[in-house]
Amino acid sequence: MSRGQPSAIQPIPRIALTWLLVAQVLVILPHLLHLPPWIIGLWLLCAGWRIQVYRMRARFPNGLERAGLMIATAAAVFLSRGSLIGLDGGVLLLVAAFIIKLVELRSRRDALLMIFLGFFVVVTAYLFDDSLLAALYSLLPVTALLAALIGLQHSGLAERPAATFKLAASMLLQAVPLMLLLFLFFPRLGPLWSLPNPQQSTTGLSDSMAPADVAELSRSPALAFRASFNRAIPPREQLYWRALTLEHFDGRRWSQSAGSRRGGAAQWSPQGEALEYSIVMQPSGRPWLFVLDVGLSELAGASQMDDFRVELRRPVLQNLLYEARSWPAALRQPVLPAEMARRTLQLPPVGDPRSREWAAQLRRQHERPQALVAALLQHFNREPYGYTLKPPPVGEHSIDEFLFRTRQGFCAHYAGAMVFVLRAAGIPARVVAGYQGGELNAAGNYLSVRQLDAHAWVEYWQEGRGWVSVDPTFQVAPERIELGSQEALAADEGFLEGSPLSPLRYRDIAWLNQLRLAWDNINHNWQRWVLGYRGEQQLSLLQRWFGTLEWHTLVPALVGGGALLLGLLALWLFKPWRRERDPQRRVLRRFESLLRRHGLRRAPGEGVRAFAARAAQALPQQGELIAAFAAAFEAQRYAGAAAAPEVMRRLLRRLRRELPWRARPATEDQR
Amino acid sequence: MGVRARWRRWVARRIPAAAQVQLNQRRIFIMPDRVGAAFAVVLLLMLLAAINYENSLAYGLTFLLAAVFVIAILHTYRNFAGLLLKAGASTAVFVGEQARFKVRLEGVEHAHQAIGLGWPPQPLQQLDVPQGGQRECELSLPALKRGWLRPERMRVESHFPLGILVAWSWVDLDQAVLVYPRPLEGELPLAAGGSDDEEDEGARASGQGADDYQGLRGYQPGDSKRRLHWKAFSRGQGLLVKDFAALAGRDLWLDFQALGGDAEERLSRLCYWVLQLDARQQAYGLRLPGCELAPDHGDAHREACLRALALYGSKP
Repeated sequence: MSRGQPSAIQPIPRIALTWLLVAQVLVILPHLLHLPPWIIGLWLLCAGWRIQVYRMRARFPNGLERAGLMIATAAAVFLSRGSLIGLDGGVLLLVAAFIIKLVELRSRRDALLMIFLGFFVVVTAYLFDDSLLAALYSLLPVTALLAALIGLQHSGLAERPAATFKLAASMLLQAVPLMLLLFLFFPRLGPLWSLPNPQQSTTGLSDSMAPADVAELSRSPALAFRASFNRAIPPREQLYWRALTLEHFDGRRWSQSAGSRRGGAAQWSPQGEALEYSIVMQPSGRPWLFVLDVGLSELAGASQMDDFRVELRRPVLQNLLYEARSWPAALRQPVLPAEMARRTLQLPPVGDPRSREWAAQLRRQHERPQALVAALLQHFNREPYGYTLKPPPVGEHSIDEFLFRTRQGFCAHYAGAMVFVLRAAGIPARVVAGYQGGELNAAGNYLSVRQLDAHAWVEYWQEGRGWVSVDPTFQVAPERIELGSQEALAADEGFLEGSPLSPLRYRDIAWLNQLRLAWDNINHNWQRWVLGYRGEQQLSLLQRWFGTLEWHTLVPALVGGGALLLGLLALWLFKPWRRERDPQRRVLRRFESLLRRHGLRRAPGEGVRAFAARAAQALPQQGELIAAFAAAFEAQRYAGAAAAPEVMRRLLRRLRRELPWRARPATEDQR
Repeated sequence: MGVRARWRRWVARRIPAAAQVQLNQRRIFIMPDRVGAAFAVVLLLMLLAAINYENSLAYGLTFLLAAVFVIAILHTYRNFAGLLLKAGASTAVFVGEQARFKVRLEGVEHAHQAIGLGWPPQPLQQLDVPQGGQRECELSLPALKRGWLRPERMRVESHFPLGILVAWSWVDLDQAVLVYPRPLEGELPLAAGGSDDEEDEGARASGQGADDYQGLRGYQPGDSKRRLHWKAFSRGQGLLVKDFAALAGRDLWLDFQALGGDAEERLSRLCYWVLQLDARQQAYGLRLPGCELAPDHGDAHREACLRALALYGSKP
């Protein structure tokens, strides 16, 4: 139908160009955090060029120059990202194209293309940062892009920058209810095909651990996950969040064994009361989930492995919300399969002779594994062992030196040494890596677990009792468990090293701490309810509202809701009750509202003439004009004079000019 | 053709021709335009990104822009509805000229931004109409044929505010412009005793042609300068004009039948002479098959003659 668009090149109105430049800066700004710095140089070059073109001091680039610019940019992208595809390379290329388009900005078509490209660049920014602040900020570039879209119209309004921006913002605001409706009801599908994800450098547990790695983690205040419990939060000393087990020791490092990586399930039976909780996990880049000791999650794709870790099929690359249940008193693997025994008794063939010798000696002294473990724990407790994040360096026989010389270390040292001794004494044992404790946010009733809460402990196997967890660190530094690493290590120089501005450092300032916790609570809810609003979350919420979920009830609800919202908006926009079809009555209505500001209200049933007479008395200086208006109205309405609302309008304009904008208080009293 | 004709009938029923049309919900159509289609494609791409990355914010922005698309319907409609179009006066033109149609736009209830009107495929004229005010615009169409020029329905449209939707209407303001034949120079087609040795020399030629030269009289303001008797002026007798007034017996008749060529050519020549004789303020009559206008002069007579020429052969 629309054939009215002339095909000739239409120039871009100045205002659209201005808004486009502003929008471009706003769109690119959040990307600068992860893009190479040369992109700023490219932007300055292109923006400068385009502005010079606008000021008629330069011309548009010719084909050769454009090709050169594009090839140079592609080469720069390749050099800084290693490839042109993949998410990082792709986004960089997209942003570069968005910038280069600037120097080709000639016609309305180019401007439209650039605006649409801008919307898409905003979406890619969400893949790198989906925090609440980033979301709020992104409304700014989106409004500016819409303002540029309005500016492309040939209208007087489109020439006023502020009015254009205001219209764009008000349209966005009016769109919010409908957007919420769509957001709630639009079915969330799984990914249609797999796409490259942003390569974020996430700190966190890895499948291989040397003590120094844990010390590194304890410097990071970055969030690992947040947990909220359906009932009371268990005491801190029970909060052992399992991530994975490290079964293989090579003399220096503990790592995940090949057997446990293969997967498979272990036999166990839940005992005692179950703990129910939900966890919002930060992207970790690893497949394992965090559960309290022995737990299960019903999340699709999550399964329990034979070392009781819970693992997803894919790495967790974005915020993940899942429900989990744990049975801390569960009986795990009362019968140990031979393969598992082999894995959990593995030791390097040589090294640490003193420790082996000591283990043999302990073995002779204590018949039952339980007694041996108790003796070992007592040893850590009684002897002068110290807890520090900066232990003295150790040589070739790391376990020997730690146990008999330095006696300074942290959880990784203690857990590693204990497992070594247990294995040397013939007891199956392994290191469990995860997090311990967490910071309670009283306002939101949830726990925030940070990287600095990373912890390693021990579990050993005993005939009949299955796997039993023990924590040697508790013997050395009980405050680490009872108070949490933040309290226990606040004085330690290694703690939070490299994060001088972290708000965690200023936990002593009460109001600042409150502010931090409140902000954390907001972010928790944001992650839980907005970012985590995916398939299952959506289903459970809709089920809570509508009972059963059937499309023949949901679709009418969606359509009806949308129509209702649109109808309300239409009412608000058109205000039909204010409309007066009759032009004379409409002018009269304006006349009345003008006088109302001066405290004069036409009583119901009061004639126009009587009202005018009263008004003329109250406003003697304008009396003549008021009377003339009333006379014109009456003559046109009743005396058969030709309908000429222009005459009335002119009188009204004169009256408005003569009257002050607001009544003085004195006239206000006459009401 | 059948579809078109039916479409025209439907529009004519829905939006009857009138000298004054106010756009209301019966008369307004709204559709996404080409930019809107591109916008929809962009939204689809954004939705795909949201689905594949399972990113709630990408979903959010996609839905926000989709909602903007939907409420833009209301904004586009609101900007367009209530616009009052009034037909203005238009003047007759000759074939080959541009016929000008005046249209007055009034913003009765509120302002209307970026209204375009015209006859596609010509570019539409763009203008804003302020609240309570009016704007006049002049649209032109080439006059190709003599007779009444009734333009097709005029397209009124607006893409405001986002340019992704177009609200339009086809309006017939019942306007028509009379198109006179194109004047064509040629011999004087005189009937009843027109001499054959006509020279194409304006006043002199016609003065010699007949015995109607009465004499000289004093110049009065309003007399044509062509009739000034320059010889008398050079002799110092003052300004005198030649008086052709008394033509009672031997009238100047422009006769269709006295000309050769096809009908259009004859009408063109007659048109030329009507204009010429009128410029000389000479009385003349016009004789067309089935129509005769008695010799006279003056503006009204000229208009009547031209009208007769324009409408020759057309149904009354």
